[in-house]
Amino acid sequence: MHDVALELASITKSFGRTTALQSASLSARRGTVHAILGENGAGKTSLMRIAFGMLQPDAGTIRVNGDIKSFASPSAAIANGIAMVHQHFTLVRAMTVTENVALGGRGLLHPRKARSELLALARRTGFAIDPDARVEELPAGAQQRVEILKALSHKPRVLILDEPTAILTPIEAHDLLNRARELVNDGGTAILITHKLRDALKFADDITVLRRGATVWTGRADEATEDALVSAMLGGERAPLESLEGNNSRRKRASVSEVVMALRNVSVRDASGVERLKAASLEVCAGEIVGVAAVEGNGQHELLRVLAGRIGATSGVVTLPPSVGFIPEDRQRDALIQDLSLRDNVALAGAGARRGMMDWVAIGDRTRNLLGAYDVRARDENVHASTLSGGNQQKLVVGREIEWAHVALVAENPSRGLDIHASAAVRARIIEARDSGAAVVIYSSDLDEIVSLADRVVVVYAGKVSECGNDYESIGRAMLGVTPP
Amino acid sequence: MEAFLEGVVRTATPLALAALGETVTERSGIINIGLEGSIIAGALGSVVGAAHGGVWAGFVFGAVCGLAVAAIFALFAVVLRADQIITGTAVTLLALGGTGTLYRLIYGSAGAALNTPTLNPAAIPFLSKIPVVGLALFAQPSITYVLYALIPVVSWWMYRTHAGLALRSVGENPAAAIAAGVRGKRVQFTAVLFGGALGGVSGATLVLAQAGTFVEGMSAGRGFIAIAIVVLGRWNPLGTVLAALIFGAASALQFYFQAIGTNLPYQLFLAFPYVLTLIALAATHGRVSAPAALGRQDLELE
Repeated sequence: MHDVALELASITKSFGRTTALQSASLSARRGTVHAILGENGAGKTSLMRIAFGMLQPDAGTIRVNGDIKSFASPSAAIANGIAMVHQHFTLVRAMTVTENVALGGRGLLHPRKARSELLALARRTGFAIDPDARVEELPAGAQQRVEILKALSHKPRVLILDEPTAILTPIEAHDLLNRARELVNDGGTAILITHKLRDALKFADDITVLRRGATVWTGRADEATEDALVSAMLGGERAPLESLEGNNSRRKRASVSEVVMALRNVSVRDASGVERLKAASLEVCAGEIVGVAAVEGNGQHELLRVLAGRIGATSGVVTLPPSVGFIPEDRQRDALIQDLSLRDNVALAGAGARRGMMDWVAIGDRTRNLLGAYDVRARDENVHASTLSGGNQQKLVVGREIEWAHVALVAENPSRGLDIHASAAVRARIIEARDSGAAVVIYSSDLDEIVSLADRVVVVYAGKVSECGNDYESIGRAMLGVTPP
Repeated sequence: MEAFLEGVVRTATPLALAALGETVTERSGIINIGLEGSIIAGALGSVVGAAHGGVWAGFVFGAVCGLAVAAIFALFAVVLRADQIITGTAVTLLALGGTGTLYRLIYGSAGAALNTPTLNPAAIPFLSKIPVVGLALFAQPSITYVLYALIPVVSWWMYRTHAGLALRSVGENPAAAIAAGVRGKRVQFTAVLFGGALGGVSGATLVLAQAGTFVEGMSAGRGFIAIAIVVLGRWNPLGTVLAALIFGAASALQFYFQAIGTNLPYQLFLAFPYVLTLIALAATHGRVSAPAALGRQDLELE
């Protein structure tokens, strides 16, 4: 057996005029966890999509166990023992967990056999799952488990995990990374795409750093230092890490603040009649950031949308200002229309309440101002939203919502999937909005973000909202429904 | 009463055949508006086939012609990702005009009476003796029995094979299916061909089991009705066939009302099946939804 399980050599790939990968290389040794580090847009996902047959390289070679391979499609990669857990779920929402895991097989489909095989796999790997649930009914954390089980059901020798911890709670994420090695069969290899360098240092054996589509650093994790990796990731644009991790300078709050958003005994039922939010009360004042912490699926999704005025309450009293800015978690799907220009996307803010003619000249000016003020890197306001990187898309959304609403802002995982620079920029903007008097509510699955940003923290547990101290210990307990001693 | 029920099943058979095929096509995420074209091509094909090799050769050649028309649609809509509605409409118009022209070329402009062998009703012993429904269900041309056999086979294939699961997942979320190793375009292409072949058989049924001859435009909108039936049947094979029976009943009622001679204008009765569809669609709305990727030619299918 060759001791390199997967080798990618001099891979080049362009999309139109942009070069995503420029002679990128990676060599993953058998039986190791190999981390691929890089900022957003560095080409991590593109490189792994090539290894998985979802993209075809323009140049370069792929070797599996030393043999040159070319994968015309994912089915070819799967046949060669490669599986991938995608960052953006690739699940069929209307189907059951069992059907999703069985997908891609051949011959007869035995639902009961597929179900018991899935249960056995779930038991063996410790990923608890209800095999009969429809995917659309599952919270994001459970969907992620389905993704992983789906990949593992092919018994891969190389398992690629693309930002697998992005939507998990810290405990879940820690657990998953700890077990990445066990997830693959004997002598298997795990490849972990991440932009969190601490995760890479802690959980990986080897690290490869990509910057602008090229491999700029590769070596053993125990020989790497945080500094070396940061300078490799950021290249010449290096800035001190502390200044990037969010400026949590707190303004002295006025002694009496005006209440901007208020919920009193608000309950929300979802389409299937399940009560997601139970008699929740919350007041958010001008000039404060209220952090919301919760384990996935406890009703925070509904809480944020009620606060943003995006869904109505089943019962209770909701008091909101005329406009509330909203930064939804899935910006690609919910915040921007990818095939419209930046200008059109900016014009969409508050579109539901507007009437009459469009003043395109003014909107164009407003968009150009936003691009400048929020450091959105785009050629001009006429390009499609889809041409922007994730970080620039989010900066545009944040800018649009803040400029539109002024007085109130609700943000859901605003820095999810963003690199260090973009996260810092987004957080700085949210703090600025607070300082200029906006009432801000921010939910984040990253506790560090809540603790560093929030003036006050509430926890949602089983649909109930409760006030909580701003420290890891009490937040962590409240998130799990443990009442303080 | 028995005559009425017999008429229901007879009217429903070609509709159910076409709708069953379209169900498979739509579950793959493709809506084939060109189904009407497959039906009329199948009708003409069956005349040619039957003239040379008998009734069953007529059905086979009808299926081949329906499939060929669907292949044109699939080339544009599946392979080249052209707009499905526009492509389907063009294919229908092409097939309607093309069959008319071919028919005149082959059989002369007079459209001389054709010597087409036909399928006579074949009563199944015992079953056809069941009171009330026996004759209606079991004294039909044997193509109806082929339909009976196809329903469980298609159902079984769709829900009990990996290929069926692949089909349904491509129609719901092609990206997920492809990431799982399914060959998306191949699945859709095959599903369109299957739908076209059954459309062809449906057209052949009109000729060989009913009219006994080919008439220009004899498909008379059945392809579009079949598409409505698929919606009414909530995209599953058994539902589709039941919906076809409802349509058959509505059509048979319309003839019945016309025959008994009321003072109401007959156009009201003509509208009956369509009104019924609208009511049924409204009543079933929201309970089962269409394949999520239906008609989406913008989705990547590499």
